[in-house]
Amino acid sequence: MSDELDKLLARLKEIQAEGSQEIDQAVNKEKLNDIRVKFMGRKGKLTEILHSMKDIAPENRRTLGQQVNSLRDKFQASIDQANQDLTHKLIQQRLEAEKLDVTLPGREPLMGSKHVLRIVEDDLEKFFIGMGYQVVQGPEIETDHYCFEMMNLPKDHPARDMQATFWIDDEHLLRTQTSGDQARVLEKHDFSQGPLKMVGPGKVYRRDDDDATHSHQFMQMEGLVVDKHVTMGDLKGTLELIAKHVFGSTEIRLRPSYFPFTEPSVEMDVRCFNCGGKGCPICKYEGWIEVLGAGMVHPNVLENACIDSKVYGGFAFGVGLDRFAILKYSIDDIRDFYTNDIRFLTQFRQEED
Amino acid sequence: MLISYNWLQDFLQLQVDPAVLAEKITRTGVEIPTTAHPMAGLKKLVVGHVLTSEKIEGTHLHKCQVEVGQEAPLQIVCGAPNVAAGEDVIVALHGARIAGNEKIKRGKIRGIESNGMICGLQEIGFADKVVPAKYLHGIFVFSAGSDVKPGQDVYEALGMDDYIFDFDITPNRADTLSMEGAAYEVGAIIDQKPKIEQVVLKEDGPAWSDKFEAQVDPKLAPKYYLRKLTGIKIGESPLWLQTRLWNAGIRPVNNVVDATNYAMLLTGQPLHAYDAKTFAAGKLIVRQAQAGEKLELLNEKELELDPQDIVIADENKPVSLAGIMGGMNSEVTDETTEVILEAAVFDPTLIRKAALRHANRTDASARFEKGVNWDNVQKGIDVAALLMRNHAAATVDQGLLKATDQQRQAVVVKTTTSYINHVLGTELSGEDIAKIFDRLGFGHELAGDDLTVTVPNRRWDIEIPADLVEEVGRLYGYDNLESTQPLLPETHGGYSVRETKIRRLRKLVEGQGLNETINYTLTSPKAAKLFTKSDHKLIKVAWPMNSGRSALRQSLLIGLVNAVSYNFAHKQEQLMLFEQGRVYNLDDGKYNELEHLAALYTGTAAHHNWQKLDQPVDFYWVKGQLTSLLAAVGIKDLTFKAAIIPGMHPTRTAAVYAGERYLGFVGMLAPVLAVKDKNLQGHDLYGYELNLEALLPLMTTGLKNEPAPKYPSIERDVSLLVDKEITNAQVVDCIKANGGKYLQAVHVMDVYDGMQIEHGKKSLAYRLIFLNKQATLTDDVVSKAVEKIDAALADQLEAKIR
Ligand SMILES: [Zn+2]
Repeated sequence: MSDELDKLLARLKEIQAEGSQEIDQAVNKEKLNDIRVKFMGRKGKLTEILHSMKDIAPENRRTLGQQVNSLRDKFQASIDQANQDLTHKLIQQRLEAEKLDVTLPGREPLMGSKHVLRIVEDDLEKFFIGMGYQVVQGPEIETDHYCFEMMNLPKDHPARDMQATFWIDDEHLLRTQTSGDQARVLEKHDFSQGPLKMVGPGKVYRRDDDDATHSHQFMQMEGLVVDKHVTMGDLKGTLELIAKHVFGSTEIRLRPSYFPFTEPSVEMDVRCFNCGGKGCPICKYEGWIEVLGAGMVHPNVLENACIDSKVYGGFAFGVGLDRFAILKYSIDDIRDFYTNDIRFLTQFRQEED
Repeated sequence: MLISYNWLQDFLQLQVDPAVLAEKITRTGVEIPTTAHPMAGLKKLVVGHVLTSEKIEGTHLHKCQVEVGQEAPLQIVCGAPNVAAGEDVIVALHGARIAGNEKIKRGKIRGIESNGMICGLQEIGFADKVVPAKYLHGIFVFSAGSDVKPGQDVYEALGMDDYIFDFDITPNRADTLSMEGAAYEVGAIIDQKPKIEQVVLKEDGPAWSDKFEAQVDPKLAPKYYLRKLTGIKIGESPLWLQTRLWNAGIRPVNNVVDATNYAMLLTGQPLHAYDAKTFAAGKLIVRQAQAGEKLELLNEKELELDPQDIVIADENKPVSLAGIMGGMNSEVTDETTEVILEAAVFDPTLIRKAALRHANRTDASARFEKGVNWDNVQKGIDVAALLMRNHAAATVDQGLLKATDQQRQAVVVKTTTSYINHVLGTELSGEDIAKIFDRLGFGHELAGDDLTVTVPNRRWDIEIPADLVEEVGRLYGYDNLESTQPLLPETHGGYSVRETKIRRLRKLVEGQGLNETINYTLTSPKAAKLFTKSDHKLIKVAWPMNSGRSALRQSLLIGLVNAVSYNFAHKQEQLMLFEQGRVYNLDDGKYNELEHLAALYTGTAAHHNWQKLDQPVDFYWVKGQLTSLLAAVGIKDLTFKAAIIPGMHPTRTAAVYAGERYLGFVGMLAPVLAVKDKNLQGHDLYGYELNLEALLPLMTTGLKNEPAPKYPSIERDVSLLVDKEITNAQVVDCIKANGGKYLQAVHVMDVYDGMQIEHGKKSLAYRLIFLNKQATLTDDVVSKAVEKIDAALADQLEAKIR
């Protein structure tokens, strides 16, 4: 009887060798499945051996059964492992096939950009809003009344000649300065509701022939602060903040100047940020760069707006946005702002906030 | 005005470095952008005395022996026509540097040894416009009595050792347009009282004024003084006087003209000299010109006079354009022996307008239009007369004829110490302030806080307390002002709602990949009328620079087209540009400014790529951009209607409506634009233009959250065959009208009118989305809705459902 057992055990060994070899050599999952059926299926070789158990002694059946089960488990483990290896290999093959030349360029969408004058304008607006200024807009087609007369430039005033004007009719003109916004706001402001603090950005026009340094259209920003206690020291402090914010300059120079709508009037120069004052083409070898005009609001301007100049006073300043942009970005032709070459426009994108 | 440092020494004791002084004046009074030092960079320029000068045959050259204070004279070859023995000249020695940093070396000219160069004034740095006429095309010759010795440097004799400040005055500081005025200003700055000398003039000729009649309208000339000088010998002015003129930028002419110019530089009072023969009849009239009168000016300009012009006339005709320039017919010539000398104050506005009208501004008119010192008229005329007496052998006839002589009272300004401190933000005492007025030479009275200041007529710019604040502020020094921030109640800064909305739109468009442009407002009248649906009146400027910039734009697209054209010309063809700005029109006599937004697209929707996944920009792409932009600001129910707009493609343009409200248009730009502008040829342009005045009120504010739906939606596709003329809008309207309350959205899936379709028909496919926000929707409900839609489409649009 033990012969039978030995025979079956020997057969089992053969099956083990045969199965292991086949699993090792299996090239795909289908083959592995065939192997599983061949050895472990209902008519598989291991099942056959179990069927042969009736031929051996009952006391040996247990041993054989254990051996068969152990081999089945081994096969199952090997097949699982082989399956996993095959999956892994397939993934590897697929990934290899999907390989890209990552150095080829990507498809670039078109990126928008702000105009450089708008960058300068927005930056200044935010700066002033942070200090409590309202941003105010006024008409570009101004009246003689607001553009000149309210600003202490009566008819026949010589300073009118300083600003070559595009007239539309006897009373209307393309504004030569944003100062008209001052007059309008002064007229409307209710001081019982608090001080007046405003900036007014916008386009202005002068009858100049266009060249590298002149443009018949450009942009200004007007600033105005009026209340009961506003001093020239406050103006100086405010102008210093502007210089520092825009040009990073801490050294400024105020020079006496003349504007009909302010008294005293000053112009502010900043230390040349290019040469530090030694002299260079940007500062025309003067060491200083003129950046804006300002002053204490002329009493006539206040009185024209029916504000008591004995009680109220303040300061005003005017900034050329084109000039700021020209200085800040070393632009050498003012016409570049208005011809809108796409290469010119897009380079300033990185300056946007 | 050019102010000489050396001349200032006549009035002040200046020990400070000129550059330091210039900076101080700039910070305190008048900007000095540049200070010139004429001898800077020059070397080895000496006076030479020409001993002999012989012509070199066959050339225009002379061989000269020139004494230059060395052991032996130098041989110098000179090409100037006016070189001659006996002259004192400017010699550039071997090793000299002349203008333009040019080096002079000994050498040979035409084989003849030359040990230097005899120079003209321009060669040592003088501007053409100041060189006396006789030396303009040759070497400079020192006049007799110039007190120069061979071998000495030329700089001092020619005034080149000077420092010349360029006083860039503002219109209110014309008081510094004279040496005396500048001396007062600089004196106040450095705290020195300037020494201003009075003129003592001997009148040793006969009395003349009672025999001469001057008829002067005091409105035209509130002051009008005349003197007569006789026995004049016209000649060259002394060198010291010439150097002061040319350092002030004025060309020396002769001893009479120079005297008037010198007196003007000194006192600020313009003067004019007439040949006395002009008024031989003994009568001079100051009046306004009559229609048709003509006058030839000294610069040979022929004028048709305007009735507003002030003229000086004899009994028949104008002989001078008052305050601006004399006439040819009264000119002082080399033969002149007697002159009538004029010093006046003319009406500033009339002078300014006449100078503008005739485009003939002069040093004199510039002073009259900005005002002159009424108290210096006599000094001006007396200085000029004295100089002619001293240097032109003139006899001054007895009597100063004052045809008009209005007086101007000194201005008295009342203010307070506290007001001045309040405006400046300072804490100056009354005494501190009084000291500043002392420096300025202003009279003042201090009584407690009250301050009364008497302003001399030489400072006619000062009228009101604010003017005094400026004087105190600038002399105290703006550098000394403490920088502070306004101590004010808190204010809330920001944009108006409208401005916020406009900025939001700009940001969104930028986010869509468009580049912002800023274009000119002024364009041609033709261009100004393009790209606008309504037919408003154009606004034009009265006096344009050219017709291309004569009208105000009515659309932004016209500017964008120009920008695109410019870029095409520079080989930039991938463009998505926008502008947000104003357009302008005239409506019922009212000038309107409307905020608009426009975009222009050409090329592909993204940069070209090697994968060839380029998507050309077309109508639907741009329409999609516009639709998503408006959706982003809450404007969703848009209607697009085919429209005709000047400048747009007539069959590819749609007017855009939100409800009944016209917002603008979108479409392809008319290909015909390329006929006029060759740069546009071969490019398709698409764009839109929106009127923000209509759009801004529709932008959402005060949004409330709507929760995302919790129940699934159901999709159904509908395919149909309709007549080709049926539009998508008709189909969608019909679907929506019949889709029931759960129909959420209708998407076009396909449009086909190709080969397989019956002629005159097209096939459309839609995807319908149904959703019940409150409960799960059943197929049954949806099917019923679709059935209703199918029936309506078949009934109303004769559609065949497929
Ligand atoms: Zn510099």
